[in-house]
Amino acid sequence: MRVLVVEDEPDLAATLRKTLAESGFSVDVAADGEEALWQAEAIAYDVIVLDLMIPIVDGWEVVRRIRARGNRSPVLVLTARDTTTDKVRALDSGADDYLTKPFTLDELLARIRALIRRAAGSPAPVIRLGEVEIETSARRVTRSGAEVDLAPKEYALLEFLALHRGALVTRSMLYEHIYDDRDDSMSNLAEVYVSSVRRKLGHGLIRTCRGVGYIIDA
Amino acid sequence: MLRSLRSKLLAWYALVLVAVLATFAALAVWTVWQSGLRDLDARLTATASLLARAITLDSAGQYEVNLTGPGLAAFTVGDDGPYYAVWTSAGKLIDRSDPDIDATTLGAPQIRSRRGNREVIVAGDHGALVLVGSSLAQLRSDLWRTVLRFAMAGGVALVLSLGGGWFLVGRALAPIARIGETAEAMSVSNLGLRVDITRTEDELGTVATSLNRAFDRLQEAFERQTRFTADASHELRTPLALLMAEIEWTLARPRANGEYRSSLGICMKAAQRMRGVVEGLLTFARADAGAIELRREPVNLAHLVEEVASGLGSIASERGVIICVEGVPALVNGDPSRLRELISNLVLNAVQYSPSGGTVTCAISTPGPALRLEVSDTGPGVDAQDLPHIFERFYRANKARSRDSGGAGLGLAISKWIAESHGGHIRCDSRKGQGARFTVELPALDAIANGASGVTEERVQAS
Repeated sequence: MRVLVVEDEPDLAATLRKTLAESGFSVDVAADGEEALWQAEAIAYDVIVLDLMIPIVDGWEVVRRIRARGNRSPVLVLTARDTTTDKVRALDSGADDYLTKPFTLDELLARIRALIRRAAGSPAPVIRLGEVEIETSARRVTRSGAEVDLAPKEYALLEFLALHRGALVTRSMLYEHIYDDRDDSMSNLAEVYVSSVRRKLGHGLIRTCRGVGYIIDA
Repeated sequence: MLRSLRSKLLAWYALVLVAVLATFAALAVWTVWQSGLRDLDARLTATASLLARAITLDSAGQYEVNLTGPGLAAFTVGDDGPYYAVWTSAGKLIDRSDPDIDATTLGAPQIRSRRGNREVIVAGDHGALVLVGSSLAQLRSDLWRTVLRFAMAGGVALVLSLGGGWFLVGRALAPIARIGETAEAMSVSNLGLRVDITRTEDELGTVATSLNRAFDRLQEAFERQTRFTADASHELRTPLALLMAEIEWTLARPRANGEYRSSLGICMKAAQRMRGVVEGLLTFARADAGAIELRREPVNLAHLVEEVASGLGSIASERGVIICVEGVPALVNGDPSRLRELISNLVLNAVQYSPSGGTVTCAISTPGPALRLEVSDTGPGVDAQDLPHIFERFYRANKARSRDSGGAGLGLAISKWIAESHGGHIRCDSRKGQGARFTVELPALDAIANGASGVTEERVQAS
């Protein structure tokens, strides 16, 4: 899952980046509104974490503009502004959730996961794919009740495909959502991860559409 | 309150109206009475004159009164109508219309009122005296009728006027009620309410306008306070969020030594920033309450500037910025630690805004009685739109840049307070892209003339 963190405080941006990365997210950081708009245009982020008081273009305006462009990425506003007016304005501009600073990382992560589930149209925190169960909150995968150990990128790939079950996921979509701009990705890595997931969870789970991408059947 | 004002106004109105009506009525009644009396007198005098000529004296010395002449037939007996009496000049009764008339009635020729009667006495032919009288009862009853009419008309006029007055006063006071209602309805949540001026009469319109202006000022002050509180909370929450997130991340699982070190470094930075904000807020809180004691002692500004410049030397050289100090020794009467804070704020600001290879110049000069310190940099300058606001609390001209330097946006506001509490002022001249120049002017202390003045303390109020 790929997250854009828009935060002008460099230390806080760095902390958010390492926290989200540890939780299996691919993270990009934008330090001002203009950069955020540019990034959000280029990549279909799974979640945008947005500070309101940012330079050049403020957070309210960022949400308004990306929504005006038809961008559907869930936006979580993370800000020190805590008045009702600010919250209403942000939500009415098109934001999906609002969390005030100071916050706890647990809550932030839970909210991000909830936003991702809701955006994918599967609000249940546990996804069942036959004998395979994915517990998204704990990032745990079981097969016939037995826990299966997946590498972070393997899990990210499985979760993304599972959240989009029934839909074709192209390779480029996979790259976009499981890597961030810091990863030195190679195009054949997706195949490597897919085959190792198949080895651990069974070969029938992920179907290959040759030359295009992958699909988990609904 | 309003009701009583209405009643009071109306009571005064009624009082004045009654007084005016009463005076007018009294005057009118008096005039009616006088004119009635004049008419009566004229009639009586005419009758008396006729009677006077109707007296004959025969050869036997007997007086005779001939009442057959025109105008003399009206005398009746025992009625309210006119009566008469005729005497000789010696006081002997000749004739009378009424047996009740006796000698005591007689007097010199005159017109008089006696026992409710009007009497005219004139000298008649043959040395006789003639008295013609008439009761005043008729005139009195006429007069009472007039009084009654006036009273009735006055009463009706009073009732009508008071009714109209009540209505008019009510109408005139209605805008006051509206103003009251508006003021009553105003609260923190709807400070935007204003008195409706278009519907208000002139004088009250002025009052309403003044009130609205006062409301404007109140709202502005309130909003400024709210903004200040929001800014302060924002400036505290941001480093606090960082502190908490960083600690939470660090504690989530065992970390490498280097990670702990860097985490603690980040926490330290956040804590320092919070300290800066808290100290700034405290300074303002105490300055606003007038609770800051400023020391007063001769301070050499040039020394302070050199001290600050060398103190900031390492930060400047890290950023590749050169600090130049030029100028003459200059004494001011002030608080050395506050003045150092002022200079340090300005120089640090200039260093942080200067690009690598830039120069910060601190120049001291003494133009006239004032002492001038100019701190100029070769940085990006200040936007014209920001220039009027940069000395406001928490104002950030360029957020990204000043966030980088870790300032909370209070330094310049504090500098302004320090300059002004020393009887001086501070200003900034800048054009975008051409650097900024901050100028502080303080009253110079003429050390030679005053000698070494003792240290004094003084309470100062923030502007």
